[in-house]
Amino acid sequence: MSIYSEKISLKYNDKSILEDINIEIKKGMILSILGPNGAGKSSLLNILSGDIESNIGNVFYDNTDIKNISIQERAFIRSVMSQNQPIVFDFSVRDIVEMGWLDKGNIRYSNNINNAIIGVLNDCEIAHLEKRKFNTLSGGEQRRVHFARSLIQLWRESDNKDSRYLMLDEPTSNLDLSHQIKLMNMLKKLANDGVGILLILHDLNLAFNFSDYIAIIKNGKLFAYDKPLNIIDKNILEDVFELTFNVDIIDNKINVNYI
Amino acid sequence: MNEKTILGLNLSFLSSKQTLSLFIFLSVLVLILIIAFSNGSFDFSFISLLKGETTHIERTIFFEIRIPRVILACLVGSSLAISGACLQGLFRNPLADPGLIGVSAGAALGASIIIVFGSTIFSKFVLSTFLLPIAACIGSGVVIFLLFLLTKGFGHQGVTYMLLVGIAINAIASVGIGILTFISTDSELRGLTFWTMGSFGGITWPLLLPAIFIIIIAFFFLSPVLRDLDILQLGESEAKSLGIDVQKLKYRVIFTSAATVGASVALSGMIGFVGLVVPHLVRLIAGVNHSYVIIGSALLGSSLMVIADLLARTLIQPAELPVGLITSAIGSPFFLWLIFRINKA
Repeated sequence: MSIYSEKISLKYNDKSILEDINIEIKKGMILSILGPNGAGKSSLLNILSGDIESNIGNVFYDNTDIKNISIQERAFIRSVMSQNQPIVFDFSVRDIVEMGWLDKGNIRYSNNINNAIIGVLNDCEIAHLEKRKFNTLSGGEQRRVHFARSLIQLWRESDNKDSRYLMLDEPTSNLDLSHQIKLMNMLKKLANDGVGILLILHDLNLAFNFSDYIAIIKNGKLFAYDKPLNIIDKNILEDVFELTFNVDIIDNKINVNYI
Repeated sequence: MNEKTILGLNLSFLSSKQTLSLFIFLSVLVLILIIAFSNGSFDFSFISLLKGETTHIERTIFFEIRIPRVILACLVGSSLAISGACLQGLFRNPLADPGLIGVSAGAALGASIIIVFGSTIFSKFVLSTFLLPIAACIGSGVVIFLLFLLTKGFGHQGVTYMLLVGIAINAIASVGIGILTFISTDSELRGLTFWTMGSFGGITWPLLLPAIFIIIIAFFFLSPVLRDLDILQLGESEAKSLGIDVQKLKYRVIFTSAATVGASVALSGMIGFVGLVVPHLVRLIAGVNHSYVIIGSALLGSSLMVIADLLARTLIQPAELPVGLITSAIGSPFFLWLIFRINKA
């Protein structure tokens, strides 16, 4: 069970954005994508989420070609948090989170939605913001609200065994250090519950310590795709980021510093 | 499950405060309608009409002139308010108004073209009953589609960009109307000035009915996607990832806006600022979700327009002010206030 791409390539105005990428988001695993700005990370996420189509190649959700899955059905399989735009009208935090509840109208008055939303708001530590206007929040708080929305989209009864995937584009941006770690721990827990997770990250330490797989993209090509420790062994970070790194591994904890 | 729908609208998205507000809007509208029915430049008692103690002339004035006129004001008020709310939601821009961004001007241009070129081909009845509303709807539709192209599919490009595009489109439309004015005959010219000024005079039942039909269809076309319009506020990619067919949603909203603006401009000419002011008032009262904003705008828009028309026809009796003058007098300061508010935020 996984979301995977088969030789996807993307061109924009004859400029190649992505070339020949095979990548797999496995159930219960965290895959982090690293790479310099403009390498094509977000484009790759957008292709995997079905927001844009690649020129060549296919994306499969649990072995079904995404072209055969309707936009509505996709929403039940994966949720996405991209780099968000401002919201002009005064929606409350609760309104925004509720937008992730897909069975709109029907189950709203059952107890499920209330419990689910209160649970997620508590998990994300934004319960105290529930009635606040979204557009008055700070950048980091807005980020956590959107994260809560993408969690609500994947919320299921505990006996439900559907495949679920989460795709997050720089989820830790604007977050303070403590919330970054809390978010990564929540993701780890979700992965243990069987959710497949794709992240785009810039923080190497978060990526190497919390991910099961790392994919490094440079100039639209898959530069490396392996387990974190193998990537460290191969000493390829310097080729990608053109910086000199000092890597310590103590008790399986990876610590990357640039010199 | 607990799904409450009335006329295709899913009421489960309304909070109790919103339901109460809508009920109050409705009561206010009924009250205003009674006042509007019983007041006018020709004075007679509403109660004696109900008792049947009126002359033939009084009844004719009431049923053939006053009632159609008040209903027209209702329709135009609610149409403009609905289209304003729709366009604001679609563009994710609180300053979108059919007048400001050129949609009304497009409708007026469409209407003007059919008046100047159609009057030689079609009979007056066919022309003004059917062709005018259709031409106006096409005109407003073309402008919205043009905006669609110029803003790259209504992408969020800042509040001012769209207004600037609107200024340009308004200018283009007025050039078109100007040229038509120049080549038109005297009788056609009288028709054209009516459109650019905005008026509720000279309405009759046969003119009213096709417009009622268009507006009701447009409303039911829109009502199933109001929740989707809320979710669109997150951004297009986000809405798509939440399972919304954004392309279809846009077409529905474009159709509704074009039809409502077209139908109202065809009947009453260009009346400004209603589409801007009303949805904002509605949002300030009880919230921003579109299920509430659209119904609230329809009700409050009707009320405000009926009041504006009542003022227009009673302030300087027996003469009549252009109703567009009154709505602009109220709307333009409000517009300034909004700009300052947005600028501060």
